[in-house]
Parts: sequence; structure tokens; C-alpha cells
Amino acid sequence: MAEEKKKKKRRVLDPNSAAYKLNQIVVNHYKGVQEAKDRGEKIGWCASNFPQEIFQTMGIKVCYPENQAAAIAARGAGERLCSEAESEGYSNDICAYARISLAYTKLKDVKEQNMPQPDFLLCCNNICNCMIKWYESIAKKLNIPLILIDIPFNPDYEVSDAQVAYIKSQFIDAIKQLEKITGKKWDDDKFKEVMKVSNRTSRAWLEATSYTKYQPSPLNGFDLLNHMAVAVCARGTVEAAEAFETLVKEYKKAVKEGTSTFHADEKYRIMFEGIACWPYLRVTSRGLKSRGINMVATIYADAFGFLYDDFDGLVKAYCRVPNAINLELARDKRVALAKKTGAEGLLVHTNRSCKLWSGFMYEMSRQIGKECDIPVASFDGDQADPRNFSEAQYETRVQGLTEIMEANKGDK
Amino acid sequence: MYTLGVDIGSTTSKCVILEDGKKVIASSIVTAGTGTNGPDKSRKEVLEKSGLKQDDLNYVVVTGYGRSTYTYADAEISELTCHALGVQHVFPDARTIIDIGGQDAKVLSLNEKGRMVNFLMNDKCAAGTGRFLDVMARILQLDIGDLEVKAAAAKHPVKISSTCTVFAESEVISQLAAGVELNDLVAGICSSVASRVASLAKRIGIREKVCMSGGVARNGGVRNAMSKELGVEIFYSPSAQLMGALGAALAAYNKVN
Amino acid sequence: MDVLNKLLAEFHDIAENPDKQLQSYLSEGKKVVLCAPVYTPEEIVHSMGIVPMGAWGADIEIKEAKKYFPAFICSIMQSILELGITGKYKGVSAILIPSLCDSLKCLGQNWKYAVKDIPFIPMTYPQNRASEAGKKFTRAGYERVIKDLEKATGASFSEESLWNSIRVYNTHNAAMRKLSDLLVEYPQINASQRSDIFKSAYFMKKEEHTELVNKFVRALRESSKGKDKKIKIVTSGILADSRNLLNILDDNNMQVVGDDIADESRQYRVDTDTKSEKSSLDALSAKFSDMGNCSVLYDADKKRADYIVNLAKNTGANGVIIFMTKFCDPEEFDCVFVRKALDSADIPSTVIEVDRQMANYEQAKTAIQTFKEMLS
Repeated sequence: MAEEKKKKKRRVLDPNSAAYKLNQIVVNHYKGVQEAKDRGEKIGWCASNFPQEIFQTMGIKVCYPENQAAAIAARGAGERLCSEAESEGYSNDICAYARISLAYTKLKDVKEQNMPQPDFLLCCNNICNCMIKWYESIAKKLNIPLILIDIPFNPDYEVSDAQVAYIKSQFIDAIKQLEKITGKKWDDDKFKEVMKVSNRTSRAWLEATSYTKYQPSPLNGFDLLNHMAVAVCARGTVEAAEAFETLVKEYKKAVKEGTSTFHADEKYRIMFEGIACWPYLRVTSRGLKSRGINMVATIYADAFGFLYDDFDGLVKAYCRVPNAINLELARDKRVALAKKTGAEGLLVHTNRSCKLWSGFMYEMSRQIGKECDIPVASFDGDQADPRNFSEAQYETRVQGLTEIMEANKGDK
Repeated sequence: MYTLGVDIGSTTSKCVILEDGKKVIASSIVTAGTGTNGPDKSRKEVLEKSGLKQDDLNYVVVTGYGRSTYTYADAEISELTCHALGVQHVFPDARTIIDIGGQDAKVLSLNEKGRMVNFLMNDKCAAGTGRFLDVMARILQLDIGDLEVKAAAAKHPVKISSTCTVFAESEVISQLAAGVELNDLVAGICSSVASRVASLAKRIGIREKVCMSGGVARNGGVRNAMSKELGVEIFYSPSAQLMGALGAALAAYNKVN
Repeated sequence: MDVLNKLLAEFHDIAENPDKQLQSYLSEGKKVVLCAPVYTPEEIVHSMGIVPMGAWGADIEIKEAKKYFPAFICSIMQSILELGITGKYKGVSAILIPSLCDSLKCLGQNWKYAVKDIPFIPMTYPQNRASEAGKKFTRAGYERVIKDLEKATGASFSEESLWNSIRVYNTHNAAMRKLSDLLVEYPQINASQRSDIFKSAYFMKKEEHTELVNKFVRALRESSKGKDKKIKIVTSGILADSRNLLNILDDNNMQVVGDDIADESRQYRVDTDTKSEKSSLDALSAKFSDMGNCSVLYDADKKRADYIVNLAKNTGANGVIIFMTKFCDPEEFDCVFVRKALDSADIPSTVIEVDRQMANYEQAKTAIQTFKEMLS
């Protein structure tokens, strides 16, 4: 993120470009929540996969510790904040996002990415249960209310009626609690509006990310890792919908004109599995680009495409986020993406910070590799703690994957 | 009254004979640890130096890694307690003791009465022990004793940040291959050890005076990096390696008085 | 004394030989279902005439499981999978795995492919467990477990049988609570022996274990209370059953006067209310609502910290030893608050890192010895 931002500062961005719009959305997001806090409104910290339709409808401002931790890590302060949390007694085994976030509740001023301290917390564990422990700790530390929408890990392919009923009732409880905490009111008509806009944004996101199916791809896949921040923090806004629609237009144009934001000769197309290694974005990106490897498939392309027709559909959509689904569904989604985009290899980031994502990834990636008949390589890294990555190992693994893909090309 | 303290480590055996719980009349360090004839050699050496015989000793306390199999002692006490006693004897104002040994790292917290009230030992996944320095020194083809001088001459210390020792080794090798100055690399390695242990120390809370104990305390590169990391002056004794044995001899004295 | 020693030997034999127990039940023609950590509806399994046996892993080297788990998944999960892959669970009809932590979720998913001959039955518990909706969701989870058990074993479920099993389990809970309290007055029963009594509960039908425990309590009451003044310790963590670790406690003259261990007293704190609900399945669902004070049970107030402080105070403990299972993030998060609460209450505590692959206990030995020296 930092590197991209630096590049953008050097050349003046066209205010009509998607890049500009997307960047502005993030800037305004942080600005907006700070201004709300300054006005005396109650603001919250929110989990990335929490149903944003709730607070968007009620006009409540939130910000995202996960986005903040990613930015802090990308801008080089990951170790400093992790160490701070460790000195308080938090194990270095705990997710680095959580450590950074907990450190932030103590430090309160971190120039790499500040945001206002929370008055309440919105937690949703469809991303992991670690999230619950993280938010419990903040709630206890700061003595503020915690609203949890528990979306359990689904061991089955389809979402059960029992699960939908359980989540719906928590949804209602969450609304009641938020009304009490903030004084703002729920509005069914506004909700319908927000659902419409959210669907529009999701459709635009899905369409934009689908452009990687073109050969060569009109975009450097790593761009999506940055654009994702908007998909997290502004899904229910018209600005986000418009920005992603602009992105679609740009990609359409690029395909027509044969250009791409992947500034190298696209020799190989891969699926990149896992979160970005935020402290090493430049290193990991360069390791691929220097070999002509473009990321054309990522589960994120799918992850923020929340499409639904009604309340039940909304609930089901939140049950189907990447980390809340069983191995079979997770595998099938990726197989579909890999086949659609013609991925020739799978590079797996074994993320030290994320047990849920890494815990059955070995088996899943074997199955994906077999089904798609592509080679699989993995490397050890971390989403935000820079001490868990080895550039030498990354280079070796990527080189190995490249050699196999090269040989496979020769055979074809 | 003469008491003997024996500290049997993984790679060294140390003995101290104390007179009336106050004066060190002889000490010995043998570079052979538990499971070897090191402890015995050290005991014989210290007796010889002191001019005493085994029967002249009123009480013997053994500590360290190899304490449970040592048969010549009247009692065994953990090395944390002994380091606390030993350091306290030399620095009565010591409140935080950082002991980086060959195999592990420990931080002890003492109260105003000099009593240990809390302690922490390193997690398994930490590259913050003497072992790490040994491995790195070997990779750089240096003697352990050279590390301090080289670190002091560093102009632009590099950062070795990996939590995992295997990754850290790979980092050092990459830096070497990239042509980084040896001094800068050594400084980075010392900082890395200091940083790991400093985080242990912060968890327990730093209270001055902060003293380092154990073999690595003699390494100025690590000591200075630790001082910088914690923002306090670090005290140590040139006999840092003998602190455990000294504490054991003191504990022995306390047992008979 | 002789009766006591005989019973202790029996507990020990059962605790050390789960395989013998398994074979014994199988040869009787009984079906056995494994129950993974931390909480499962054993009462349901029991009510269907199936023998529930606890699967909390073992102190073994991990080889095969490394194909599925990266190094940073806890060794409890790794060893359970290892035992499954290497055929040590052969003969069981299914394994019941709850989704209470992220690593448990992974165990379930990996199991399907790693141990294909033992069906995986998921138990999805709600974290917002106290509300009516939560209770309903627990019940839905139980209904699914029943269906899967019926499929895996051919056994059938009945509400009436479940009432019986609930009573059996409530009786067992009470017996274990009483035992733990009584042991405080008998320091001659050492840490290893106490552990054997708790561990053996996982390898027997609960009514059989209750009988043994009651026999033991009677024999204990007839013997004289121990005169040794040991250092009183409360233990906390997921597991504390490693023989080497327990020996270190005994070597340091420590007596476990109470525990907050997941496979020990945490299982026996809450009984099923047999009066309020009409349906036994609803009653069992309500039990989960009432549970708490555990790292895998959501609690924004973190009451667990105070629970442990009170446990230490009520048992007259000199200190608390936290056995931190390496890579267990729920426990790692809680540890900060537990220690803070203990510090505020002036109760000394220390953390000993443990895992099921420990070969070298030197650090634990030194730390426990030092803790003892600190408390003396």
C-alpha cells in the first residue's frame, strides 16, 4: 500500500480515474469517522466481514482495525507495534493484526495510520474465532460494549435454515444494541436502499476482478489487494459502486487497447492463495513480476461479491465468506476461479498469523492442484509481522514453481 | 565457615568458594558441562586454588542444568534463584536481572528486599540465546570474543529480524552474499539477541538497576544493544559467568546460618 | 490404605491404557465414538447406547499429521490427527469434533481426508449461547449430531434415554466436584494420582467411573488426612496430564488443590437443569447456555480471570501455575487478563509452556522449582 501511495504522489492522478476515486474513498473513510468522533458521535471498530448493511443503514460510522493493521504493516511499523503488544504479555503466536490493534489501543497515536479510539465494537467471526478473542480483549481493556454476530463455521456445503434463523435473530439484537448505544434509529426503507447499493458495489467488484480472465490480463493482480480496502470499508456507498464501475470501464478499455497495469511481459499466470504479506508487498510483488508471473486468480475476487435479493439472502451471503465455509466449497470456488482465469500454478502464502486459513490449506491446495492439473508451491510469511518471512525462501519457492510451469509449457 | 557453590551448565561448569558468606576465596570455570567430567574437574580445581579440602566445606549447593545428577551437594536450587542471589551480592540495588545463557534466556524481577518476585523464561521459538551467537559466529568465521569489537566498529548496523533462527541464519547469509560490512552484520546479530530478550524483559517490567548475568553478559555488543533497546544503563560484573555459582555458595551459607 | 492403593492403581491403569479400554468395549459388541476437545454432547452419545471416549491426543512424535497441519497448529490437534492416521483409533464408529476454536475447525476438515474410515461428525456450537436463539441453534446442532450418529452406528435416539444419561452425567459431575474438594485435605494423593483419576473418566462409561470415584472417596475418608505441608497450587490451562510434568510438581512438594484445566474440572462445573425444560434435548441445550469461564466460550467481561482468582482464594492456594499449551491462541489471549487479575489479588503465578511433543522438560523443571523457591 505504501509503495503504491508513493508512486501515486509522484504522478498527478486523474480525478476521474478509478485509482484516484478508490484512494479518495479510503482517505475520506478515515476522515469521516474521525470527524464523527470529533462531533461527539459514538463510533465503532468493526470486523471486516461484519454485515456493513446494519450500520450503513443507521448512519453509524465505523473503522476497521484489520485495514489499519495492514496499512501499519505495509508502512513498516508492524514490528514496532507487535513488540509493544508482546511487552504487555500478548504471545507472539497471536495473529499480528490483533497484536498491532491491541498495541494501538495503548499507544493511541501511530503516524503510519491513525484512527479514533472506539466507543463500541462490532465483531463477526465468519472470518475466524481469533477475532472474538481479539475483540473481547479490546472490550475488556477499554471497558466498552461489544456486539458479536456469531456466524459459525459451516461444515456443510449449503447454509442450513437453523443457521439462518440464528443469525437473523442476532442481526435484530445487534440493531437493538446499536440503537441503544448510539441513539440512531433503524429504518427499513433506508435498509432497502443500502442493500441495493451494496449489491451494485458487489456486482461491480465481481465484474472488475473478473477481467483477469483475459490473456494477457489488463491488470496486475496485486492491484486487487489494494482495491480490496474499499470493498471492505465502503461497500454500502454509492462512491464505492461508482469507483468499481470506473475500474470496470478502465479494464474494458485496456483489453481493447491491449494495455495492462502489469508492467512486464506476462509469461505465467498464477493463483495467489492467502492474504498479502503486507510488510513485504514490494518484495513479493517483484519476485513475481521479475519472472513475468502475474496473479490472475485470488479468492478475494469472489470474497467481496455479496449478492442477495432479500434478508435471508443477505444472511446466507455472510455465511459464505472464504473462512466460514468447508474445505469442499472453498476448494470448488478456487478451482472455478483458477479454471476461468487459466491459472498455470498455485502459490500459497502459509500465513503464520492465520491458523484458520493455513490449517487445512495443505490438503485443499493439493486437491486444487490435482483438479486443475497445476503445480503448487508454498512459502512461509505473515500478514503483518515482518519477522516471519524469509526473502531467500520466497525466491527459492517462486523459482521452483516457475521452473515447473516453464517445463509444463514446454510439454504443451 | 566455607561454602561451595557449583553451577553446572550445558557447556561449562563453575565453582565458587565463599568465606563466611562474604568473600570469594576461589573460583573456577571449566569448559565442559553436564554429563562430562567438567563438574568434577571444576570442583577439584577450586579446592586446590583455595587450599581447602572437601571436608573443610560446611555446605555445598549445586545449581544449573546438571544439578539433579550431581552427587556431591547437600542441596540443589534453581539457577534463577542463584543468579538472583549472586547478582544481588555484587549489586545490592539490582531489581531486574537479565541472564542470557547458552541455551535459554531468563529475566528476574526482585523487590526492594532483594527477593525474587517474578521471572520469565524464553519461549521456545526465540532466537535470543548464546547458542544463536555461537551459530552466527561460526557462519562468519569469527570467535565469540571477536563479536564485541566488531559490533563496536559498525557504521551502519543491519537489521536481522526473523523470529525463527533458521530464517535468521538465512538472513545473515543473504546479507553476506550482498556484500554487507562484517562489522555491520555483527552489530545486527548482537541487536537481534538483545531485542529478543528485551521483549521478555518488557513483559515482566523494567525496574532499575538492571543487571546482566550469564556468559553473554560479557559481550558488549549485546549489552549495548540491550541498553539502547530498554533505555536504561546495564550493569554487569566481569565475573558474570560465575554469578550462578556465587549465588549457590551464598544459598549454602544461608542454609547453615 | 490397601483399598486406596488398589483403586489408585486401577485409575492409573485405565488412564494409561485407553486402547485396552477401547478393545474391551468393542469386544463386548459396544459401539464407541470419540469426543474431541473441548466440549461435546457426550450425554447424547451415551444415551444412544454408544460409549463416548475422549480424544485429547497423546504425547507422541508427529509425523503423518505434518502433511495436513503447518507447525503452528497446537500439538493437541496434531496428535489427535496423528493417532487417527496411524490407525490407533481403529474400531471407533465416528469422531465428534466441535468448532469451538479455529484449529478445531481445521481438525474436522483435515480428518475427512486423512482418516477416511472414521466419519467426522461436526458439532457447531453458538458463541452467543445464552439467548433463546442461541439455545435453539445448539439444539439444531445436537439434532444433526443425532442424525449423524444414527447413520454411523445404527443406534437410535430417544428423549427418555437422554434424560437417563443426563442424570448419569450430572451425578458424575457432582462426584468429580466433591472429589476435587476432598483431595485438598489429602496431600498424600499426589499430582500424578489426581491426574489419573480425572483422565480415566474419558476412557470409561461415566456411571462406571462414578462408581470407582465414590469407592475412592469412601476409602479416602477412612484414611487419615495427610500431615505433609505441601505448597498448594491451582493449575490452569488446556491440559496438565504429562507424566513428566506431574512428576516435577510432586518432586517440588506441590499439591494441586484446584484446577481450571479444560479436560479436568472445566467439564464438571455445570449440571443440566432437569426441572425447567420439558424436553431433554432442550434441557441439554440450555446447559451449554449456562457454561462459561473458559477460553473458548465467548465472554466480553472475561469473568474467567476473577473465577481463577476466587478458585485460588477458596482453595487456599499459594500460587497458580498456568500450563500454556503452545499455539493455543484462545488461552494466550486470556492469559494476559488472568495474570493481571492474579497480580492485583497478590496471588503469585507463573506460566509454563507445554506441548504434547515435549522431549526436554528442563525448562519446565527449572521454572517450577524456581516458582517453589519463590513461594517458600
